[in-house]
Amino acid sequence: MNLVTVNKQTRDLLISLYKERRVSLEGNIIKVLKAEVGDTEFEEYLKVTLQKDQETRKKRLDITKQIQTQNQELVQKQEEISRINQELNQSLEQTKAAMVQAEQAREAALNDLDLLQKRSQTELIGTIVKVALWVVVGVGIITTGLYATALIANVETTLIGNTWSNMFGILLTNSFSIIGTIMGVKYATEKKE
Amino acid sequence: MEMIESILLVDDESLFHLVFEDACSLLDISLSLECIDSSDNAARMFKGLYETGQQKPECVFVDLNIVGSSFDGIELVRKINYEYGNHVVVGIISSSNDREEQIKAQAAGAQFWLVKSDDIEPRLEEFRKDFSKYKDRTAPFKVYR
Repeated sequence: MNLVTVNKQTRDLLISLYKERRVSLEGNIIKVLKAEVGDTEFEEYLKVTLQKDQETRKKRLDITKQIQTQNQELVQKQEEISRINQELNQSLEQTKAAMVQAEQAREAALNDLDLLQKRSQTELIGTIVKVALWVVVGVGIITTGLYATALIANVETTLIGNTWSNMFGILLTNSFSIIGTIMGVKYATEKKE
Repeated sequence: MEMIESILLVDDESLFHLVFEDACSLLDISLSLECIDSSDNAARMFKGLYETGQQKPECVFVDLNIVGSSFDGIELVRKINYEYGNHVVVGIISSSNDREEQIKAQAAGAQFWLVKSDDIEPRLEEFRKDFSKYKDRTAPFKVYR
């Protein structure tokens, strides 16, 4: 590489600038300058200037590397935050879906419970009605038996006859009502099942 | 040791331009260094130099992933080698050390792969020692890690 020499005026100006105001050349331009043979003062100037420039560059390089490392760390942290956010969003979506499922399950359970309660009530009504029917049939049989016995024994049957007639009328009416209720209960139970 | 006449760095990370520039200056690798932040601009520059017959940079360092460019570093290396007349030492500079990418880069004509890190100076120093062999195309593809 061809090195450049400077004229005396420039050389003197550069040296005085450095001595009086500590202003010196910077950058690669220093590396292409050379002092005239035997000019130790300018040679020393170039040496000191180059050293100063290299120290500055070294310092700047260290700081730049630090900033670069910090930047990389920030980018990594940002990526980490973004990943966590994504995971949180996914969890939120899953939670929402689970909530919807839980709500549906709750509604289904409530319906089942309601159905179960109604069924139990219906079954209870059914039992009561069946018992009532047996009572009606039992009373009918007993009254008829008493009336028949009175007829066979040839005793006074006016009272028992009227009683039997009234009783049978009432029993028939009630039994139709009871049978109707039983049919209704049966129909309702079968439909819900 | 002889300096590299001129270097071109193609990298989107402007902070790395400073690191590279200071490291090259401190190691006396080259006095002439130019930095470009996109592969499109680098391709345009090489096309222009090729068409006008002007002197190209002696050595080109290309980043693997150049954000904001329409093609990556390997494609730029391929263009420099096969479309814009070659005659430059060209390689990849990247923080990645992926073997597959290195094979692709080599196929595209990259002569070296320099792994970026905080401690880049020793790698650049080693690269400088091998540079003359890259220039006369006698050095094999090498990864500086």
